Amino acid sequence: MNQAPKVYVVVTAFNEAKYLATFLRKLGRQELSFLVIDDGSTDQTASIARRYTKHVLSHPVNLGKGATMKTGAEFAFKHLGADAVIFMDGDDQHSPTDLKHFFAKLHPASQQAQLVLGVRSFDAMPKTRVFGNQLASALVKLLFGRYIPDIPSGFKALNRIAYQKLKWQSSDYGVELEIACKVAKLGLAFQTVAVQTLYHDLDRGMNLLDSFKIVYKILLWRINL
Amino acid sequence: MSIFQLFAALFALFMVYWVRTSHKRRQLSLLEASFWYSVWSVFILLSVFPNLLLGVAQTLHFARVFDLLVVLAFTVLTIQNFYLYLKNKKLEQKLETLARKMAMKQQL
Repeated sequence: MNQAPKVYVVVTAFNEAKYLATFLRKLGRQELSFLVIDDGSTDQTASIARRYTKHVLSHPVNLGKGATMKTGAEFAFKHLGADAVIFMDGDDQHSPTDLKHFFAKLHPASQQAQLVLGVRSFDAMPKTRVFGNQLASALVKLLFGRYIPDIPSGFKALNRIAYQKLKWQSSDYGVELEIACKVAKLGLAFQTVAVQTLYHDLDRGMNLLDSFKIVYKILLWRINL
Repeated sequence: MSIFQLFAALFALFMVYWVRTSHKRRQLSLLEASFWYSVWSVFILLSVFPNLLLGVAQTLHFARVFDLLVVLAFTVLTIQNFYLYLKNKKLEQKLETLARKMAMKQQL
């Protein structure tokens, strides 16, 4: 008898005490399995997370987004028997109600790499982030021949096969760029879903200087891959 | 002897002293200390007798011994920089692996 595929939501968090409880409450209402990876937070992130799930992993020091996602994915696939994971940021920027759209497109137990990318609308996005976002997509298209929308979005799902193919090296925010470059380079099929975004703290996230970093990192990946 | 040569020699003597105290504190092994003593001794020798390298400088078409030493110094710094970059990268990878293993072990 085939077992229902297991999908875990991997919540990445670094010093998210302000919004984490709100987010996890909303996530809890979706009645899904989830784990929280605390990336060496110095606030109450880990203790808040433990009120909502028993699966809370804490890095002893801050390593970065990429390392946090790797910890979550590896723990879910190796120790929880997950067939797929859906990454979400713990800063309440993503709406858990959008998860149903991921499930509609994801085939977790497929023998092919399954990737579903959450794509945000640019309407409410700050202009500097729109610029960085479009720059990243344009460069990937130019250097890898494939258009991938909303590369910086942390809301994405992948199954075990996709994770094995994409196993990223980046430990920081460059992970999203690396994943996009690898998806383009390896010709992995992906689907997109429209997701909502709430911008709580506009001073976080990409700024204009990050555009230079984007160009530099994509060029590096073009050489390395 | 020029004032620059004097400063160079005094600087090298200070470095020899630093190597000695580091060795006494067991921050450097005997082999490491011996290596650095040799380096700074050669530095003192060349500071006082720069013409020892005149033949080398002329063979390599350097106008002055000083130019040769500057180029050598930049070469050494570049190599060292690259070596430190690789070492730092390795350390970062080890730190990441360790921290992630600790997080998972704690949870299991």
